[in-house]
Amino acid sequence: MTSPSLDPGAPAVARPDPAPTPAADLPPIRIAHLWPSLLNVAGDGGNVTAVEARSRWRGIVTETVGYEAGDPVPDLTAFDIVFVQGGQDVEMALVAADLPRVAGTLRAAADAGVVMLPVCAGLQLMGHAYVPSAGEALEGAHVLDLETHGGSQRFMQHAAVEVTIDGETETVVGFENHSGVTELGPGAVPFGRIVAGAGNNGLDGSEGARRDNVFATYLHGPVLPKNPWLADVLVRIALSRKVGQRVVLAPLDDALERRAHDVALAKAMRNRGRRTAITPARLHRRAS
Amino acid sequence: MVARRVDPDVLATIVGGRGVPVVAITGSNGKTTTARFTAALLRGEGVAVAHNSSGSNLVQGVTTLAVGFADLRGGLPYGALVAEVDEGALLVVADELRPRALVIVDLFRDQLDRFGELHALGEALDTVASGLPADRALVVNADDPLVASLAAGRAGRRVTFGFDVGVSLDRITRAADTIRCPRCRHALAYRTVHLSHMGDWACDACGFARPDLDVAVTAVEVTGLDETRCTIRLPDESTIDLAIPQAGIHVAYDAAAAVATVIALDMPVTHAAEALAGIRPAFGRIETIALPDGRSVVLAFSKNPTSFNTTFRALASEGEPRHLLVAASNTLVDGEDFAWLWDVDVESVAPRIEDAVISGTRADELATRLKYAGVDPARMTVVEDRPAALDAALANVPPGDRLTVVAGYTPTIEIREEMHRRGWTGRFWEQ
Repeated sequence: MTSPSLDPGAPAVARPDPAPTPAADLPPIRIAHLWPSLLNVAGDGGNVTAVEARSRWRGIVTETVGYEAGDPVPDLTAFDIVFVQGGQDVEMALVAADLPRVAGTLRAAADAGVVMLPVCAGLQLMGHAYVPSAGEALEGAHVLDLETHGGSQRFMQHAAVEVTIDGETETVVGFENHSGVTELGPGAVPFGRIVAGAGNNGLDGSEGARRDNVFATYLHGPVLPKNPWLADVLVRIALSRKVGQRVVLAPLDDALERRAHDVALAKAMRNRGRRTAITPARLHRRAS
Repeated sequence: MVARRVDPDVLATIVGGRGVPVVAITGSNGKTTTARFTAALLRGEGVAVAHNSSGSNLVQGVTTLAVGFADLRGGLPYGALVAEVDEGALLVVADELRPRALVIVDLFRDQLDRFGELHALGEALDTVASGLPADRALVVNADDPLVASLAAGRAGRRVTFGFDVGVSLDRITRAADTIRCPRCRHALAYRTVHLSHMGDWACDACGFARPDLDVAVTAVEVTGLDETRCTIRLPDESTIDLAIPQAGIHVAYDAAAAVATVIALDMPVTHAAEALAGIRPAFGRIETIALPDGRSVVLAFSKNPTSFNTTFRALASEGEPRHLLVAASNTLVDGEDFAWLWDVDVESVAPRIEDAVISGTRADELATRLKYAGVDPARMTVVEDRPAALDAALANVPPGDRLTVVAGYTPTIEIREEMHRRGWTGRFWEQ
């Protein structure tokens, strides 16, 4: 991660409670939700809901456009936030088949500093390739310098990740549920460092990946509603980029969100040190 | 479970080779109700039925069913055994149960942290269904594309059921799972959608389409929180009219499944209308409990996106929920990951909610979900403890009015048990 932050007005020293930017001065946030009917499990649609709702509560307008496989490919550089979410294996392969049409504009948008939140299968598809334990490799979008191999172990547990964005460090919580083993190349840095859970591969303590304003994670939950800090950072970066100066968001009452965060954090910390929690053993026939 | 430890083959010993027809009913949603309907239909025809009516559907519960109903010599004094079997447990007990009819009611994603991906569950069930001997019957929901695709190469009897009502009763939402062809993965075309991804579907790419219906619901109307009326067409084109004292479109699916099952056993359904007219909802399935003070509690157990949406649709027929108690807990049976709550269409019911008490060990997740669906946090109270939550929720309900309780498996049992302690209802296993 060598490119500079695209949050142009980030101050060197945090100022106490700067005045929020008036909502009337803020343009609508254009959101692209990619393959919403294919990559639709594990509640990740809640991330879109979170950005829409938190914007609405602040008087900021959002416009969400869905892109389905086979649709005319949108120019993603014209969007402010792009969501690519989790999906099951079969649907992931269908997206991979459609991906060559979209990969170019995805890379252009990432290069231009568009905010992206790829989650789980979305993270894997934004890399160079997903190589399953059996079957053919899926080529990714080459947005992120990472590659994923199918593993023998399923990481399925509450997780907590220490994340630093623009000098602010917070603990992001969520639920990981994947068997992919992801390795980052030199062109990406981890989204965060694992505090509890398995992360990218269960070995090196890395979780997710980042370059420019692409923030990729394995965390479901969905991750944004119970990590309002992260939701607001994404919105702030997207709006600051759009208006060309640092935007300050009006504060919201996040008591319920913080409680959800703290419950998930407590659960993750109880799992600390474990590589995996539950396996769906009952799906395997009794050996006799 | 002691019986299985003493004799691991206890199920096979008791059930096998005694000529008692066994019905095994599995699927994601509607197992319990379909099993109750099937048992009622068989009893209506004069058959003595053993049935795990308490909904204990894991390996232990199914074994307990067989052991409990067997006489001292280990024989079954019954004419039929109806077993509701958890879709995961079926893989363990299918060989031992040797069902005369294997019934698959539907497949929805349900607790990805318990069952894994839906396709993996489908493949596992395909193995079980394909292995069913040719002289046994497979009863499948033709409206569910994944269920309809199971055991395609199997020779042997197959009885299908579904809806033939002409108009859509639902639309595809983000809770829908199998909306692509199970054979070629092309997007399915729907002539009608009735419940989640169930309807009259066809694949334009490979030609796979909904199989012909042997048993078809030709009309359905939810007439309140305590009645669903439907007409069911039998294979001989005759029809039966049913008035079932339970609410919801899904009740008609369960009734069609039960009728198809009895037909698969080559039994008549001559007394179906009487048999189902007096059937009470299974515990917590949109069950109305009258309180001594004239108010009432509607208990609606919900466990996955589709069951939540189905419950909400049924409640909407009466303008509910207005006064709400909603509860979710993480337990072994309820799962650990509640991300799926965000796939539930809470937005459509949020405007009706006047007040909500949120309970259970995952009250935090539920409260956040309700807030983002548009419920004002000022209308919400979080009370984790279930009995205290019941009191807090009832405090919101004016005289003569109704409280709606929507809860996961464990909190439903806890809240119902609390209502029993207060003398408002019997224990569910006594029904």
